Amino acid sequence: MPTSTIKDQTKYDHIDSIVSLSEKKNSPSKSETDCQCPVVKAENFSFYYGSKAGVKDISMEIYPCSVTAIIGPSGCGKSTFLRSINRINDLIPNTSSKGKLLVNSHNVYDKNTNLVNLRQQVGMVFQKPNPFPKSIFDNIAYGPKLQGIKSRSKLQQIVEESLKAAALWEEVKNDLKKSALALSGGQQQRLCIARALATKPNTLLMDEPCSALDPIATGKIEDLIGKLQADYTIVIVTHNMQQAARISERTAFFCLGELIEYDSTANIFRNPGKKQTEDYVTGRFG
Amino acid sequence: MKYNTRHILNKIFTVVTAASVALMIVILIAVLGPMIWRGSSAVFFKSTVEFRKMQLDLHRRGDKTEIDDEISQSEVYRDFIYHKIDAFKKGINTDYYTDRVKKIYRQFSKELQYNGIKGDELSRRRKFARGIRRDMEKAFRSLNKAEILQIIDNINKFKGDERIANTKAVEFFALADEYRKTIKNFDLSKRQQYAQALEEVESLVKQLLGPRSNEPLPAMIMDRYGATRLDLANELLGKIIWKRQWVQQSSGKPMIEEKICRSTQFAGTELEDLFPYIEENFDKITIPRFTFYWQYFIDDSTSGHYFGGVGPEILGTLILTVLAMVFVFPLGVISAAYLVECASENMVLRIIRMCINTLAGVPSIVFGLFGLAFFVLVFIPFFGGPSKPCILAASLTLAVLTLPVMIRASEEAIRSVPKTYKEASLGLGASQFRTFVKVTLPAALPGILTGVILSLSRVAGETAPILFTGACAFGSVPKSLFSQTRTLSYGSYDIAVGDKIGMLVPHNQYGMVVTLVLLIICLNAIAIFFRAKIFRRLKGH
Repeated sequence: MPTSTIKDQTKYDHIDSIVSLSEKKNSPSKSETDCQCPVVKAENFSFYYGSKAGVKDISMEIYPCSVTAIIGPSGCGKSTFLRSINRINDLIPNTSSKGKLLVNSHNVYDKNTNLVNLRQQVGMVFQKPNPFPKSIFDNIAYGPKLQGIKSRSKLQQIVEESLKAAALWEEVKNDLKKSALALSGGQQQRLCIARALATKPNTLLMDEPCSALDPIATGKIEDLIGKLQADYTIVIVTHNMQQAARISERTAFFCLGELIEYDSTANIFRNPGKKQTEDYVTGRFG
Repeated sequence: MKYNTRHILNKIFTVVTAASVALMIVILIAVLGPMIWRGSSAVFFKSTVEFRKMQLDLHRRGDKTEIDDEISQSEVYRDFIYHKIDAFKKGINTDYYTDRVKKIYRQFSKELQYNGIKGDELSRRRKFARGIRRDMEKAFRSLNKAEILQIIDNINKFKGDERIANTKAVEFFALADEYRKTIKNFDLSKRQQYAQALEEVESLVKQLLGPRSNEPLPAMIMDRYGATRLDLANELLGKIIWKRQWVQQSSGKPMIEEKICRSTQFAGTELEDLFPYIEENFDKITIPRFTFYWQYFIDDSTSGHYFGGVGPEILGTLILTVLAMVFVFPLGVISAAYLVECASENMVLRIIRMCINTLAGVPSIVFGLFGLAFFVLVFIPFFGGPSKPCILAASLTLAVLTLPVMIRASEEAIRSVPKTYKEASLGLGASQFRTFVKVTLPAALPGILTGVILSLSRVAGETAPILFTGACAFGSVPKSLFSQTRTLSYGSYDIAVGDKIGMLVPHNQYGMVVTLVLLIICLNAIAIFFRAKIFRRLKGH
């Protein structure tokens, strides 16, 4: 037994150091965000692929101008939940949902939801960098053009702003005409973030945005997320618990389609309330 | 041991695959090589002076003084040939002499009347002249050389007779001498035989040299010029020098072809040395010169493709192909988009797919008949068009023919566009339609262009679908979508099944086929170029 306590202590050490780091970074906003009304609110939300449930009975609130991480083992429904928020899951045939999922106090699964508006409010960044096979400029202007912006100077301004916001402007400002596919993986992913920002969303959904990138590119993206959280609500799905600890304020732990625990990141990693969570964050699970 | 077996199997696999590739290349060369070689002779060949004359007459090509000079050079030798033939002809065709005798007699009587001779004197003189005339006609008719000579000798006795002295009638004697000279080396018993053989030689010479300059111009352009190409001229030369005939040596045995030298056929006559003469001076008669006839690709041709190029055929093929592509491209892409994007996978969709695959295997003649029954007789008249074969009907038929290929290729192309592109576009709020037009379609374009390439090759080379729906063998350049057109594929088919034409103009037949192959290669090259360009742009290089 004594050996196990020693082990338990050491196993928290590395996470501790990270969490304390993130606390230093994120702490000031914490108390303010708590009292704000949530941007995304799930009320007993379930999503089904055919008859199989992707997520079951989720109730959680995501607060504005913060980073919320969703962690959990593969197939636990974290991506399903994330992709339900802007209804990109609709692409898959034979799906259905139950319960409510409110974005800005509007149930997105209402029949009369304007998908165009919803998706422009809730931007999405995917696991693999997926720029269109077009020029950098066209990639970013794609969203604004959908909103009906035609003026070239306006588009130029938006492209510049978005690229600056995504910390990519300095690297590409001279070759906006170049194909986006000529960029490196990390640059492509930042381009995708810039593209999502160009439609001026208030929420960004990130589905494992760093899983296809090397550590340096990952670092850049994480820095970027840190900067973006001042203006955007960010929901990020990640397999990398250290990343969740580094960048997020709150963390939700999903398992087998259910929300097991949702609390501040520090609590999830240091004092998990549930045994399952503890097993997972300490690496005893899977 | 086990390792050895694997090693050997690998080696065998490599050898077999390499051998099959090599075999394919050999077959390709064996098939295409001779065809291209023969086809290229439509453009690169040795032309005779007749060709240059024709080019000058019909298209104002070439230097007039130079060509006139060449013509007059060859005229010297031609005149000799004509002279020989004419001289020989006189021995056979005595009508010529009979006519002249009649003419002399008529002139003689007129002369007498003009000189104021009347009454008995007139009838006495005329009777005498009539006697000579009858004798001469008898000599012309006779097949007995001795008799003829005797008659002529008899006539010559009257030379200087006062009744005809100083009149036109003295020409009788000159004519008689001329005739005597003509039949000197002549076997009169063979007159009939010679007449036939000469006719043959004359027509061959006419084919070789064209009509004589003093003859009226024939109505058909192909009759106005002799052999324009050295290869055809050489063939004619062979025919002139060697007579071919089928001989049965004994009953019950198959006939064999026999070559007879024409100079032996005409042995002992004036014509005997004509044949060596033509052979010796062949170069001077035809004046062969190497020609690069690039206008072959733009020139119109005379009926039967005897002269000229394949300009209207190329134009027609291009029009039909491009129009068919214009029809099939949107239809194919939209159908494919439906099959991939909109329809959910179910029984109906599977049946549709099966139908498309079946359509791809239907023989093209079936499409041709369908085009006739539907587009020509129903569809176009329904919209107020004429109910006859036309370019529109033909291109629509071709479009239907190649639709399955186009749908399959586009379907594969659209399906292979990464799902992430679609997700990204939809995630930005784009509608399904906009996503398809702005993202999926551009990304699928290289694959769709592969379908276009496959369709192009098929469409440009098809004959059966346009047989009843819009192709014609002759006719001018099409003026509207409702006129018929000539095409390369139909043209080569027509030459192949046409009477003798294939034998007369083999270079044209092969030339047309090779032009078709070249045209398809060019069209494909254009499509491949665009595909590569789009592909590069998509890949971001």
